[in-house]
Amino acid sequence: MNAFVDTPPSHDTVLRLRGLRAGYGAVEVLRDVDLDVAHGEIVTIIGVNGSGKSTLLKTISGVVKPWEGVIELKGENLVGLGVEQVVARGVVQVPEGRQLFGPLTVQENLELGSYSRRGKRGRPAADKMEEVFELFPRLQERRLQHAATLSGGEQQMLAVGRALMAEPRVLLLDEPSMGLAPLVVKEIFRTLRELNERGLTLLLVEQDARIALSLAHRGLVMERGRIVMEDGAASLLAADIQSIYFGHGGGRTDVTEDGHEKYPVVREGD
Amino acid sequence: MTGQQFLQYIFSGITNGSIYALTALGFTLVYNATGIINFAQGELVMLGGLSAIGLYRAGLPLPLAFVGALIIVLIVAVMFEQLAIRPLMAKGVLAQVIATVGASLALRTAAMMIWGREALPLPPFSGDTPIRVLGASLTPQTLWVVGTTIVIVLALQFFYKRTLTGKAVRACAVNPLAARLMGVSYASVVLLSFAVSGVISAAGGAMVAPISFMSYSSGALLGLKGFAAATLGGLGNPLAAVFGGLTLGILEGLAVGLVSSGYKDAIAFVILLLVLFVRPQGLFGGRVVERE
Repeated sequence: MNAFVDTPPSHDTVLRLRGLRAGYGAVEVLRDVDLDVAHGEIVTIIGVNGSGKSTLLKTISGVVKPWEGVIELKGENLVGLGVEQVVARGVVQVPEGRQLFGPLTVQENLELGSYSRRGKRGRPAADKMEEVFELFPRLQERRLQHAATLSGGEQQMLAVGRALMAEPRVLLLDEPSMGLAPLVVKEIFRTLRELNERGLTLLLVEQDARIALSLAHRGLVMERGRIVMEDGAASLLAADIQSIYFGHGGGRTDVTEDGHEKYPVVREGD
Repeated sequence: MTGQQFLQYIFSGITNGSIYALTALGFTLVYNATGIINFAQGELVMLGGLSAIGLYRAGLPLPLAFVGALIIVLIVAVMFEQLAIRPLMAKGVLAQVIATVGASLALRTAAMMIWGREALPLPPFSGDTPIRVLGASLTPQTLWVVGTTIVIVLALQFFYKRTLTGKAVRACAVNPLAARLMGVSYASVVLLSFAVSGVISAAGGAMVAPISFMSYSSGALLGLKGFAAATLGGLGNPLAAVFGGLTLGILEGLAVGLVSSGYKDAIAFVILLLVLFVRPQGLFGGRVVERE
């Protein structure tokens, strides 16, 4: 019952990064990043603001051109391809901050999600839309509403649904929990897990390490453009996340009234 | 002013207003996709008119001359986008706007060298026997202008609201990066917008030529009025651009009737200044088109 993927689960590497370097102008943001994502895996990259997580996803999507290194999808080189060519090959991104088309309706947003599939063989967009509506029934109720009028949680559902319309092989998610209430995040993450169980490969970057690791099979910690730690999600969760986060670079930790640490909330610089 | 005269001025206003509406549509399509104000828009209208005249004089039947003019301007608009706009994509909107100023001068000069300095006529599409409507006379050309404008507006509405490509163009206007992440080629959307805007402008120019003659320098005033109309409606909203064009045309018509024909061209300037001072977002600009 593979709704959104066409190949059966296996342990093959789907996405492979080697020695990836990228940046803006003269500023190097990604320094020598290696990463393997296997088929059917959920991998999360956690790290503080400005550590290069968003830039990594943008580089994979072709928005930022890498200076050096390898990006491969099932052995096919993605470096040098335009953004729209990367999407057409099945690497689809749910960008930070949702980036919906606000004045367009929910349905139109979803239709545009299937833009990269137009003229290609495959299931009709209408069928895929029905599947998205099964996953997120609230989107169906609001299909004729403008996307800008949705609540934050519904907007994130639409952003995920829109990406699913492109029939991704790998779904990249940039801070899907940002700005959402914990209950809403739980609901969306439950759906992401369901999609993964149907065979979809997920790579998500998150600032909220706890929630990201609760979903992922494997976690990587990124710091100043480098992967500094990698482990199973459970062991990372068990480890003292604070020391993982701030052990090397130092950082500000705020403590809320009930004694829990919370991570610094600053807009990501990149 | 009698009722008949009033109606006569309204008719003439609607005719000119339709041309302003088409020019304003041209501005809006390009602005929506790129954020560029195309200062050569009026020159594309002029080129449409003069091309139709040139082809007709070369012996082509009028309908073929009309279609030929659309094709010529389509080619010019595509070349303009490829040679002047695309290479400046990384330099930003200001550089591109300046390129459109350069293009307007180049097109004007080229037109003068090809067709000379004189204003040239084109015969009306289907004769000039006026139709009497409630005592006022309506030329068949007016019906052509208004009818074609309606067809173009309906076709554009269909394109933007019903086709996936049209929706992709709207998506690009809202959020170019997100549209690219969905697989939309932003470069193609920009090219398409210039092409469609060129064809619409050319249609306006070829249709107005039988009414008001056309010369190499006609583009400046047509461009200004189209821009005033687009601004009046609120740049970025196609239907509002059409409304702005018709409003401007009718106000001009009434000014000719009530004041003096000498003030006709001043109306556009006054409206432009008023809008910019009082309501820079335009009449329908409550929702300003968001651009990255």
